[in-house]
Parts: sequence; structure tokens; C-alpha cells
Amino acid sequence: MARIIVVTSGKGGVGKTTSSAAIGLGLALKGHKVVLIDFDIGLRNLDLIMGCERRVVYDFVNVINGESTLNQALIKDKRVSSLSILPASQTRDKDALTKENVGKVLEELGGLYDFIVCDSPAGIEAGAMMALYYADEAIVTTNPEVSSVRDSDRILGMLASRSRRAELGLEPIKEHLLLTRYSPKRVEEGEMLSVDDVKDILSIPLLGVIPESQAVLKASNAGEPVILDTESDAGKAYQDVVDRLLGETIEFRFLVAEKKGIFSRMFGG
Amino acid sequence: MADASIEFKGTSFTLSVLHLNTARLVDIRTYLVTKVAQAPDFFHLVPIVVNIEKIDYSIDYQAVKTLIEEFNFTFVAFTGDVDKEQRALIREQGFSFVNTTKKDTSKKVAIAQETLVTEAKAVATTTESHLYTDKVHHGQIRSGQQIYAKEQNLVIIGSVSAGAEVIADGNIHVYGSLRGRAIAGAKGHHKAQIYCQKLEAELVSINGNYWLSESMEQHWGSPAYIHLTDSELTSSILI
Repeated sequence: MARIIVVTSGKGGVGKTTSSAAIGLGLALKGHKVVLIDFDIGLRNLDLIMGCERRVVYDFVNVINGESTLNQALIKDKRVSSLSILPASQTRDKDALTKENVGKVLEELGGLYDFIVCDSPAGIEAGAMMALYYADEAIVTTNPEVSSVRDSDRILGMLASRSRRAELGLEPIKEHLLLTRYSPKRVEEGEMLSVDDVKDILSIPLLGVIPESQAVLKASNAGEPVILDTESDAGKAYQDVVDRLLGETIEFRFLVAEKKGIFSRMFGG
Repeated sequence: MADASIEFKGTSFTLSVLHLNTARLVDIRTYLVTKVAQAPDFFHLVPIVVNIEKIDYSIDYQAVKTLIEEFNFTFVAFTGDVDKEQRALIREQGFSFVNTTKKDTSKKVAIAQETLVTEAKAVATTTESHLYTDKVHHGQIRSGQQIYAKEQNLVIIGSVSAGAEVIADGNIHVYGSLRGRAIAGAKGHHKAQIYCQKLEAELVSINGNYWLSESMEQHWGSPAYIHLTDSELTSSILI
């Protein structure tokens, strides 16, 4: 069976979709069969980040309602053949999903793929609950600021009480902390929570720290997940995340501010 | 039911307890004069138990009893958390001693021998006391979660996140950081306490008295416990 990984956060705008896209593509680049599911029904974004928005014919809700087959709705990534995207519907709302029919789709996908990466909507309502319900693992995406940490804490509570694993009394969901938009310089200046602060509050294992980077916005607009930008710090950090998910032990980087020379100051890092 | 010329029955009474903070009879007298003057009728022949736990051996028990009776109280017994020797000493001199130690029983039994001639036996509940079992929670209490230990103490092996709430009718122990809200003695228990390894709470409350984080500055971030002294919350260092 596939590993079902939910990328969640509680708070919006912290980088769930960016992370889902980067991690999904990264796993596929390593030769694994991966499907990315956009659970943000009504606010479809994942297809934009993945650069396949013009190829959406059928979506997740069509599959749920039996209006299309799974194969018709899945979009094969043009860069990596082992990666597929199941887009969200832009015209329906989150009530279209029920535990039962989501379960059926996931079961069918589970037989075809190694990894199912679920991009969760923000919030703690039905949509987010649906995305995390069947998860085996959760990547809790957090920005180093208090409100994001608080919301992540809330989601961790939900993972432990509202998931299928919790309801059936199975082994709990494996939790990973992914810290995004991290700026070591601002941490040093005391404007931002440090990695240790966040780890101390949430007390879950750290999966990765993605530095704040211009490359992320550029990648999003271009529809090219940032992990493909192997020159950028953010791209490298996501690569580390993928390797860690696959069981490797890799030292954390980009945790301290670099002393920049005049040239890198002018041309950006 | 034939042979019932007398019967022993246990009954609970609420008795007034006079807490002595000094052994100096002059000071006690001054205090009593003002107190009784406020409500002479109220105190007339009121049965009274005298708590002497704050005073050392140098107390003249007979003098205290005489003084109390001078003000028209009906002396019942001495009480207080004192050691065996002192208790024995009190009894040797012919006075009753009412137990208030929490260990053996939840109700304090007092047998009044001397002045309460009309009563064969008096059972007095002098202080509130609670014997609670523990509710133990393993793991962190996350933001938005709430745990209530009904008629129990609450033990949390883990931290309490900001935005979480832990409530107990008894004491609360947090083996981790306390960042959320902790409400002990929720049903009215004056002696409830809150212990934590790191005090960073949003709110602590004991028996309805509460503190917001700004009041916890003294031991902020330290291992500490919160308790009530004379209906004022107090924090003390734990280690």
C-alpha cells in the first residue's frame, strides 16, 4: 500500500501547496510512483504550481460523483512520468467530499502508487479534516511566527484525535515538522522564532527547514516546483526533505545567516 | 429496638475554628475583645475549636481555654497539624484534641468531653479535605484541546500548549511546560495546587481565584507551583 502523506498547517499561506508540489515532484524524481491530490476544493491551486492548469478536464469531485473515471481525471506530469496530479474542482465546494467516497478513491490510488501526497486546505473545517483523515503521515507546515505555530499545534491535536488512525486506535499518524519561510538573519535579530523555539513548542521531529527565498515565488508563477531550481537554497532544502522522507539522515542546512559578499548582495542568493 | 436508652450515632457539625498565630495571651485577648464586640450575640456560647499549629510548645493550654471561656465561648477542643508528642501533651492535660491530618481520614472526628454536656458525641468537620485519585494523561495537550479531571487530580506527562485548557477538581501536575490555561480546584477546593516544570501559562486559577500571565513574572519560565494563601494566589519555586 502507498504511504498517504498529508501536507497540512491550519493556517493559510504558509506554503502547503508549494511544499506538496516540491515534495511530490522530488519523490517522483527519485523514481517513486507519486500522486498529488488537491483537497482544496473550490480554491484550486496545486495545478497552477505544478504548471498543468490548462490540462485539467475532469477533477476530484467528478471522480467522487462517478462523472469520470480516475484515469480520466489524473494528469500525468510532463517532466516526470511517475508523477500524477488529481486536481481539485474550482466550481464545487468542500461538502462534495465524504469520508466514504474519499476512502474509495484513496484505496484505488493506493494500489497504483507508492506515495499519495494530499495537499490540505487551510482551516480546521470539513475540508482539512477530510485531507488528514486517511493519512499515515503528516507534514505540518509552519512559518516561524506565533500564530502559525499556534494553528499547527491545533492541527496536531486534530491529527491525534480526528483521524482514521485515531478513531480505530491504530498506531498514530507520524508527524513531521516542516518549517518554511525561515530567515536566519531575522532570527538573529530576534524578529522571528528560531527552529529550537518552534521545536520546543510543538515537540515533533523536524523534517526540514526551507529558507525564505525569492526562488519560491518565481517558481510558483512559472508553474515549476521550486525543487527543480537546484541552484536555490529553497530547492536544495526541499531536496533534503525528500531524502529524509525516504529514510536518509541529512544534516540541516540554511540555519545560520550567511555573511554575504558585495556581489551576492547585488545579485541575490 | 428495645434496649435503646442510649444510642451512638455519628453526626457532622460545622464548628468555628479559632486560629492562633501567637501564644501571647495579651494579644489573643485584644483580638477577641474587638472580634466579640463586633457581634456579641453571634459569639455567645458558640462551640469553638482552637487551632494551634502555628504555635510551638510554649503555650499554656489551660490559660487559652480559660481565656476563651471568659468571652463566653464554649471550648470544645484543640486542633492543628502538630506532632505526636504535642498531641499527647495536650491530651495528658485533660483536653480534647481533634485530628486534622489529611492522611488517615477525610472527615475529622471530634469527641467533646467537657463542656458539651448536652451532647453525648460531636462529630466535627473542621477543615475541608479531598482525597482524589489521579487522572494521568500521556502526551502533549494541544491548542484547542480541553481535559477535565472530574473529582480527580490531573497529571499530564507532557506540555500544555498555548490555547489548551486543563481543568481538575483536585490538583494539576504538568511534567512539561504549562503554556495554556490551568484551572485547579474547579468545584471549590481551597487547597488545590498547580505544579509545572515551566511556568508560562496564559491563566492559572485555583478555587475561582485567577492570575493572567502578567502576574506570574516572578517565576516565569521556571519550575514552579501555584497555591492559595488566604485567598491570594502565590507562586513558589519548585526546585
